[in-house]
Amino acid sequence: MSSTKHTNGLSRDPQPRGPPPNIQPRPKLSKAERRDLQEKQKAAKAAAASSTNAKDKPKEVEKTLAVPDKKSESRSKPSAVRSIARINQPSPSKDSASVESAETEHVLRDLRIFSHFGFTSKIGSSATSTKADIHPSILRLALQFAEFRIVGANARCISTLTALKTVIQDYATPPQTTLSRHLMTHLSPQITHLVAARPMSTSMGNAIRYLKYEISILDIDLPEQDAKQFLCERLDHYVRDRIILADLVIQDLAIEKIHDGDAILTYARSSVVEKVLVQAHQAAKDFSVIIVDSGPLFEGKRLLASLRRTGIKCTYCLLSALGAVIPSVSLVFLGAHALHANGALYSRAGTALVSMMAKQHSVPVLACCETYKFSNVVPFDGFTKNELAPEDGFESRPFLQSLSPLYDLTPSEAVSAVVTEVGLIPPSSVPTILFRAGVQE
Amino acid sequence: MPASTIEVKDKASQRAVDVVVAKLRRRQIFGSHETALETVLLLRQVVAAAKFNTIDQLLDMVRRVGRRLVEAQPREQSVGNIVRKVLKLIRDEYAAVAGPISQSGTSTPQLPTGLSRQPWASSVANFVLLGHPRHQGSSLSLAERSGNSTPVSVEGQLLADESNRKVSSIKPALIDAIQEVIDELETVYESVARNARDHIHSDDIVLTIGKSRTVESFLKAAARDRKFIVIVAETAPSYVFFSDFFRCTPDPLGKIVTFRYLGREMASSLSSAGISTVLVPDSCLYALMSRVNKVIIGAHAVMANGGMFAIAGSLVAASAARAHSTPVIVCTGQFKLTPLWNLHYQYASVDVGDPERVLSSVGDGGDAPEGVDIINPWFDYVKPELVDVLITNYGDHPPAYVYRLVKETYDDEDIEI
Repeated sequence: MSSTKHTNGLSRDPQPRGPPPNIQPRPKLSKAERRDLQEKQKAAKAAAASSTNAKDKPKEVEKTLAVPDKKSESRSKPSAVRSIARINQPSPSKDSASVESAETEHVLRDLRIFSHFGFTSKIGSSATSTKADIHPSILRLALQFAEFRIVGANARCISTLTALKTVIQDYATPPQTTLSRHLMTHLSPQITHLVAARPMSTSMGNAIRYLKYEISILDIDLPEQDAKQFLCERLDHYVRDRIILADLVIQDLAIEKIHDGDAILTYARSSVVEKVLVQAHQAAKDFSVIIVDSGPLFEGKRLLASLRRTGIKCTYCLLSALGAVIPSVSLVFLGAHALHANGALYSRAGTALVSMMAKQHSVPVLACCETYKFSNVVPFDGFTKNELAPEDGFESRPFLQSLSPLYDLTPSEAVSAVVTEVGLIPPSSVPTILFRAGVQE
Repeated sequence: MPASTIEVKDKASQRAVDVVVAKLRRRQIFGSHETALETVLLLRQVVAAAKFNTIDQLLDMVRRVGRRLVEAQPREQSVGNIVRKVLKLIRDEYAAVAGPISQSGTSTPQLPTGLSRQPWASSVANFVLLGHPRHQGSSLSLAERSGNSTPVSVEGQLLADESNRKVSSIKPALIDAIQEVIDELETVYESVARNARDHIHSDDIVLTIGKSRTVESFLKAAARDRKFIVIVAETAPSYVFFSDFFRCTPDPLGKIVTFRYLGREMASSLSSAGISTVLVPDSCLYALMSRVNKVIIGAHAVMANGGMFAIAGSLVAASAARAHSTPVIVCTGQFKLTPLWNLHYQYASVDVGDPERVLSSVGDGGDAPEGVDIINPWFDYVKPELVDVLITNYGDHPPAYVYRLVKETYDDEDIEI
């Protein structure tokens, strides 16, 4: 979407005119301005409580995360609610400079290091106020997300769009406004409620961005029922074209890479990879599958059950056994949550380990990813964006905490090729595809 | 396997040998430290009760006991290591006693010129023997043996009597030397942890996997002087050791005992000592590795080339560390150094665990579909290029130096017991 805007802008202004001062540079300045404002506010706070800050500084040792940590401390954004609550607790009581406070501060230091991951908050017991205007299908979906009943980028995207279709159908335009202007503001709190259950996936994000675009270009004169029908139809086509049909093309392309006698390794559970393997088995290819699985979700077990139903020969092991199985593997299929602009594969935690080991043993790694999961972001490691699994049943003790990031980032060198509906591409071609997709839309 | 071989003439010792052999085979003793300790205690008993006329008889006795122990449990390499160590001690003690005495016809062991008088020594053998001063001891025994079997001359008889007295005189010194080995084994954790504070710096983020007692004492020793954070990987599906498994009792509701991953045991142990610990599942090792300053793991056995057998998951952790150029530190005791090589088990497990534990580690119990292979290796082979330093109770060494350590610790003729 942004690429479309960018190309449109270039074609409209061939002469390099000075940009109007209040349109173009504002996005850049406002961020810096906002940061300056925050620093000023923080300095004011620091001046007020100078003694505590003076003690705080030598203990701030995290090198790379020093600045964003301070920002997360001062900014009262809801992203890291729980971590902020814990960090702010000892600051007023820091006068008691006993060993105890130093120790608790020491434990809290780790929370800061990982705090920008964004803790998931349980919405089951309605921590967030259930407003009356959240649609019941959205409420149900949010609960399913929070309890990890619906997992996987494709499943979450399709279920989100289905729920949004219901919301659109039940929507009634208030008087004095039009559907194309008001519908988005009506949908925003619904989407926010979903994000509160679990951070938005790239697939969901791209789909919702597409929906926003469709709403924005709606013909104003269209009657309400027709408009709603049109929107639902567009969403159906999006799912059909970008997910269902794309998966079929990916299956055909991937099956060509499977030869008789292959031992195929896959990690956790990807819906696309599952379809590929089932399809290949139906095409009478002779191969065996090794499923590598790991906590905290252990999704591979469900994949194991599903593949056994179709009669594929399976081996199952956990991630620690990877060193023992990898020498006998001929091909690795991986699923994707998102594929980033630098070719980095963002997928279930553990994928990076699998692809790294495969690369060391010269085993080709194929990532199966539809193009709607491509993202413009350029991340370097699994810390830029991640999500922590909720810790349940973990006995908390002093000095002990548990951390389960759900995703990790595989560098593009470890992935041999990406199977998409436009063909087998090298991971570095992602920006090209994004550009193409942007222009077409 | 011969069940009723008599290795030792003394009945009490023979019974003790049988008991330890049975324990090893049934995995009632498990883990390199425990098995090493049992082996050395047994060998002390055997040597103390042994009656022998020549040094070769003693060596042969110990070797036969050792062979039986190793065959009972070939996966516990530390058993063989201790046997080799005791054999070397025997030869050393004997050389110390018999060395400086020169008898007729035999030369002082240190002078290579004396060897040329031996009828069987060729020039190449001279060269080889130059590097092994102790071989004179065995050549001495050869002469004695011939002296004992054919006591034709009075001189030979005198020689035999002399050597008998010498041989029986080494016993107390030998028992002392074996006791030193026992002491070394019992204090290995403290010795390895001696310089822990030099290896871990303030605010380091250290990654470890599984539960190694050596690493645990290392980290706890460092925690006395430094404040740092330890990330412990759960290391599924490894559970508490077998011996603890037999001691577990089911809970009152009659359900299956809830097992805890080794990583969780380690995490709770470290956090009880006041070390900030973060418990993570194995899947996020790569994701967190960019923040980790060093990886510290333990080993089960260290091979002669510097490679090692370590708990399953070590290969993945060490490879991820190598990909991020993070140093990998291995804490071991010297008793884990083995003169064997890993030729047959490259990248494969030496030992395999219970497949049911793989399934029960997964959320909804062990209802596995039919016809599925479950792989649960207990160990990984980590090649020497992935390890940066070995911290032992006798100092820190790079993996490339391990072959030298092995050569100094054991005798060449003991590599095959």
